[in-house]
Amino acid sequence: MPLHLYIVRRFLFAIPLIIGITLVAFIIANAVPSDPVSANLPEKSQNDPEIVAAFRREWGLDKSLPEQYVTYLGNVLQGNLGRSIKTKRPVIDDIRQFLPATFELATTSIITGLVLGVGMGIISAVWRGKLVDYVTRTVALLGVSFPVFVLALLGLSILHAQLGLAAGPGRLDVRITKPAAVTGLYIIDSVIAGRADILANALSHLILPSLVLGVYTSGLISRITRSSMLEVLGAEYVRTARSKGLSERVVIMRHAFSNALIPVVTVIGLSFGNLLSGAVLTETIFSWPGIGRYAFQASTSQDFPAIMGISMLIAIIYVGVNFVVDILYFFLDPRIRLA
Amino acid sequence: MSVFSRPRRALTLVLVLLTTLALSLAAVRAQDEKVLVIGAAEFLDSMDPARSYSPTGIITLNATYDTLVTFPPDTADSFVPRLAASWEASEDGLTYTFTLREGVLFSDGSPLTASDVVFSFNRFKNIKGNPSFLAATVESVEAPDDATVVITLNASDPAILAKLAAWPFSVVNPEVVTANGGTDAADADTTDTADAWFSTASAGSGPYILESYEKESQVVLVRNTNYWGTAPYFDRVILQNIPESAAQKVALEAGDIDIALDITPDQIEAIDAIDGLSVYTTGSFTLHYLAMNRNAEFGGPLADPKVEAAVRAAIDYEGFRQLAGPGAVTPAAMLPVGMFGAYGTDKAPVRDLDAAKALLAEAGYPDGFETTLEYPTYTQEGLNIETLAQKLKSDLAEAGITVNLVPGDIGTFIEKVRAGESGFFLVWWQPDYLDPDNYLYFLPGRNGGTRAGWLEADAEASLLELRDKALTETNPEERVKLFAEVQDYWIANGPYAPYLQGSIQVGHNDNIVGVFRHPQWLIDVAGLSRVE
Repeated sequence: MPLHLYIVRRFLFAIPLIIGITLVAFIIANAVPSDPVSANLPEKSQNDPEIVAAFRREWGLDKSLPEQYVTYLGNVLQGNLGRSIKTKRPVIDDIRQFLPATFELATTSIITGLVLGVGMGIISAVWRGKLVDYVTRTVALLGVSFPVFVLALLGLSILHAQLGLAAGPGRLDVRITKPAAVTGLYIIDSVIAGRADILANALSHLILPSLVLGVYTSGLISRITRSSMLEVLGAEYVRTARSKGLSERVVIMRHAFSNALIPVVTVIGLSFGNLLSGAVLTETIFSWPGIGRYAFQASTSQDFPAIMGISMLIAIIYVGVNFVVDILYFFLDPRIRLA
Repeated sequence: MSVFSRPRRALTLVLVLLTTLALSLAAVRAQDEKVLVIGAAEFLDSMDPARSYSPTGIITLNATYDTLVTFPPDTADSFVPRLAASWEASEDGLTYTFTLREGVLFSDGSPLTASDVVFSFNRFKNIKGNPSFLAATVESVEAPDDATVVITLNASDPAILAKLAAWPFSVVNPEVVTANGGTDAADADTTDTADAWFSTASAGSGPYILESYEKESQVVLVRNTNYWGTAPYFDRVILQNIPESAAQKVALEAGDIDIALDITPDQIEAIDAIDGLSVYTTGSFTLHYLAMNRNAEFGGPLADPKVEAAVRAAIDYEGFRQLAGPGAVTPAAMLPVGMFGAYGTDKAPVRDLDAAKALLAEAGYPDGFETTLEYPTYTQEGLNIETLAQKLKSDLAEAGITVNLVPGDIGTFIEKVRAGESGFFLVWWQPDYLDPDNYLYFLPGRNGGTRAGWLEADAEASLLELRDKALTETNPEERVKLFAEVQDYWIANGPYAPYLQGSIQVGHNDNIVGVFRHPQWLIDVAGLSRVE
């Protein structure tokens, strides 16, 4: 199938999926036996029927559930995600504010995870059964199983407070004014603003959280890389390549690794989707104003419009990431192109 | 191995980059202006004084707006002038006349007059926002001249000054607010659209103005050059959002922040041990209590007043104080220590297991009974409610009462409590305004009473009479007497067991001086300074 037809088909499939997810999110959010009134109004106000009525009217909670859902869908089709009960701003504005922070962190984290994970995976596959294999596998296991918040607090306490090697909580130092928002990504915005100092500061604030999330992600990536590499290294064509007298580096990187990539790309894609939908614990400890914390607060305050908006966003992220992964398959494996 | 020569080069590059970053980081120096950085978990619903009901809002609004009256810098048991130079109440307690201070300007330089107060109060009442219940007794607000504000009440309200001292009665600049969608009209609840604007700027007369607010990141306040009072020490105050108390400690240690507002009792020792840092501790007005439902359908054995008394006698109050850390006290009754008219710690109950067992036997439960205790999974002022519930379970077990713990999500929990269907529950109460009137809520016929199945129909006539007198009496001396009577009643009777009054810990750099905690304002940033 030609690439463009394939893209169109994938896009069309995504639409019912996303609408389905809004319905499921709506049903679950409403099934929780907790009322947005009690989550958002102070005790005394809840005893005043006028204040409660004004609250319900303002947020459309006085309408029936099917009516609320249909109104919501209608608004979404017009590009209106509604207003968050908690922040009182349009949900789309909230997402626009919080998503870049998460995107920036997810990107640096996945790069860290990729470098660490693929590196460890190849090393332990090449030296299978040797000491270095056991060491990297143990490190990978620790990476997956070590609680993220412990790693984060240790990192902050040692690398930031004690040694001053990495910056502390937040996206920038407290006293530094953020760059004018163009993309919301401080790395890019600071470059646009021509401020090397802000760029350096933003990068230094990314070090610790990216390391924490990167180490966590690398555990999974390295395990997949290792097993995938081992499979390929035992294949006939690798033996052929070696017998042709090719250098070990060419054999491993070109012949083995590029053929071992498919499962690795899949797991990287899923990890990236996971990071993009917000790492609540890491964002909380690093005071990272990202989508994970926004989602967490929306759910604790029964903020329906925000919950729905985030559910849709996460659905879109996963659909998007899977889509990119599929396109990558297209280039990595000629057999898919032919199918 | 040549395979890895390229990654090695990349690694060297990363290391060089990191070193450069660390160096450039060190090169970033604070500017000359005096800056105070406070680390706090952000809890903010709105920056509009008429709509806000959250800690971050209270701190910010106190710094950017003025109320007619306020409290002394470190207590909440009397009133001092703010925008009002003086005030007097009519004989019947229904009319309050305030004379405004002269020469007060809004931050934009325009004069603040009585009609601005009228606009602000009417807007607040009509918006029907989160805190609007505080205006329930306000019938009308008038400005006979530029310097006089007359507030007429629809019923006698002994707590009116305490309410007027709270942030929702902040005076806003009508010109600026109207230009940004605000209105004081009767239908303001549907027509006022200024809420979002309030997050971008302020329109008050306080010592600071709101320079910027970025959700989940920081609130930045800068000095108001038109401020009528003593100029604050700091040019700029930053409220930095750090949700996690452990991260606040790290930030304090690293010097990123000067003050950490959400320190927990178990962090005190570690912070005090760090050179240059201290922890300020004080009691809070948070009253932790147990409620036992008088409706036998839900309360079971706990509906019996003798069992209520047995539960009160079985609690290890001292153990709870230790659990909560320095600053925590045991209240005598359902009125926290330090509130106007409240008993001190000398009247606090002490544990008496023998009395508890005797009371249980008298009630017909010589071998005790089994019950369930409901509580929300929550952390309040650094105290895990789960821990408190577990301690109560073990305390009551010693008296023979077997308690099964039933934790729940706070929203679900509150709904069941509100419906009066929880038989035995553990919760806490924070005052909405700093007047003992707030606690009469825990009497029959009032919401707190109803939730514990304590209904007017079952209550003694004398208690109801006392309740109504306490609700309306405005003479301070008479009020003290009436509240003493109410507390005496609670000590011996009623479906509550108040067992702990929480504490507050504020971590700070030793070079910061001032009052670190105010019961109303949480922290008054204008009152802080740095010793060089």
